[in-house]
Amino acid sequence: MDILHNLAFGFSHALTLHNLMYCAIGCIVGTLVGLLPGMGPLATISLLLPLTYSIPTGGALIMMAGIYYGAQYGDSVSAITMKIPHASSIVACIDGYQMTLKGQTGLALFTAGISSFIGGTVAIVVLAWMAPVLGEVALMFGPADYCALMLLGFVCVSFVSTGSLLDGLAMAMVGVLLGQIGTDVTSGQPRYTMDMDFLLDGIGLVSVALGCFGIAEITKNLDQGTVRTPFSGKIKLMPTWPEFKRIIPSALRGSVVGSILGILPGGGPTIAQFGAYAVDKKFSKYKHEIGTGVIEGVAGQAAADEAASRTSFIPLMSIGIPENPVMALMLAAFIIKGIQPGPNMIAAHPDLFWGLVASMWIGGCFLVILNVPLVRYLLSIFKIPYAVLFPAILFFCCVGSYSVNNNLHDIYTTGVFGLFGYILMRVGLEPAPLMLGFILGPMLEEYFRRQLLISRGDFTSFLTRPISGGLLALIAVFMVWQVVAFFINANKKKAAAEAAAPGV
Amino acid sequence: MNNQQLIKGLTLVGIALLFGIPALGYRMGNFTQPGPGLFPLIISGILLAIGIAALVKSRFVERVPMDFKVRNIALILLSLGGFAFLSEKVNMTVGVIFLVFVSGFGATDYSVMRNLKILAGLLAIAFALQQLLGLNLHLY
Repeated sequence: MDILHNLAFGFSHALTLHNLMYCAIGCIVGTLVGLLPGMGPLATISLLLPLTYSIPTGGALIMMAGIYYGAQYGDSVSAITMKIPHASSIVACIDGYQMTLKGQTGLALFTAGISSFIGGTVAIVVLAWMAPVLGEVALMFGPADYCALMLLGFVCVSFVSTGSLLDGLAMAMVGVLLGQIGTDVTSGQPRYTMDMDFLLDGIGLVSVALGCFGIAEITKNLDQGTVRTPFSGKIKLMPTWPEFKRIIPSALRGSVVGSILGILPGGGPTIAQFGAYAVDKKFSKYKHEIGTGVIEGVAGQAAADEAASRTSFIPLMSIGIPENPVMALMLAAFIIKGIQPGPNMIAAHPDLFWGLVASMWIGGCFLVILNVPLVRYLLSIFKIPYAVLFPAILFFCCVGSYSVNNNLHDIYTTGVFGLFGYILMRVGLEPAPLMLGFILGPMLEEYFRRQLLISRGDFTSFLTRPISGGLLALIAVFMVWQVVAFFINANKKKAAAEAAAPGV
Repeated sequence: MNNQQLIKGLTLVGIALLFGIPALGYRMGNFTQPGPGLFPLIISGILLAIGIAALVKSRFVERVPMDFKVRNIALILLSLGGFAFLSEKVNMTVGVIFLVFVSGFGATDYSVMRNLKILAGLLAIAFALQQLLGLNLHLY
């Protein structure tokens, strides 16, 4: 009953005219800016943060949250239509873009919109019922557990996104190494900065994402001499009943996965989308079709993405730890408004906490009401020849890179990563795990070093803790399974080749 | 030499050495008190092992030539670099002009009229971003 009372209390704050207006503005502006290629949630929130300075605290936080999930959806749209993702929509590129290539963009965007709403709704229920308890669960994680969780994330990502565990792990490691560039937070030692001051703070996530995905993708399309627009053929927005029925199970699975992974610091939307995709690949009725451009490949990850983005507020608000760069910006927004997120926040500012929780569901409704009907018009806007589109995408990549820090050097960095992403693409390496490694790398190092300090250099401490030991055992089982599967497949191929050989 | 798998292995080994060798110059500390060089060295070591595995694999798998076209990536990088340079030295409007007209060479056909239309559209958007969203774009 306490929860219902708290939710009613939250809705009484969120449903005021002003807060409704801030929520709607946040969703609309977030979606519109997030739609622009090169403008993911990070760049969008960075851009729009100053808008909240003159708004009352509750309204400002509701608006920022609206911008966040509005941008998430807009980001999914650019990932699905043009294969230009950010960290939170990498998986949307796999089946979403494949659906676009099949001329099913409308269906992919509808699926993403509805699944996001389902994911958001489930996550809010989870958040409202379990926020205090889950905050305590997250607190049970020690440094070793975080390390093991992140390693598990790398393994999942590698398996899901590349199909080759070794290639995927290699890219995750490259990402971790790129995350080492900058000042070591423990010792203050600059690493890999080559005496360039702008590298002391590390490489910007937006520059890496825009370079490895945006620039590299544009170049690949130009190499192919493509003249196609992102959409071709008839646009079929509304799904048939059988198609709609296929959305629900995947969206629910993704909601559960996203809600769980969003809570754990080190998890969040980036891991959740991969987790949901892996779960669908394992349990979906259409698991053998996933990866070729099917509804399940979009629904699960979109729901997980949205659910995790909602539940990732839990560690931020209950223990004061931002788990990803977007949450770090949200933390900045809280602090600007004079609120210090942490264990005391729910008790000290219940109106803000529960008002924000309630506004998330209202924001979800706004997104469905706005986005799903408007998708057809958004698609019309994007019906532009590629020769016109790619200079515009380049422009938005430049503006997106620049706007995070108002630093033109970031555009050079984006160019360097564009070249890097292009080389990776040409040698057959998929950059998605690189992004995960890059985001989680600094955290992985921090927790790794902390655990070694705590255990006085004893590596067995990673195995003896129940959570980290369990997660590492999972990784070991997965690796062994991969090796066994490799030899079984090799033997099958050999046997098939021998059987097909003439005279045998 | 033009073997995708071989180049993949060499790339990974190169990256591992690029990060691993400088890591040796940072303080290593010990496992009880790890220094700033230890973690990157461990990760570089893992990457080096994977790179070597890829090199070994290249001896046994079918050779696939790598497709790498310099022209388009050079055009794109030139556009980006020129945009940043001219935005810093002159203003962003000149940067956008450079970006549109240089990157336009990457299209299958080159049209000055089309580029002018794109330019007008992008400048309008840039102006809107500056005026409506308060983006710090030095357009003039």
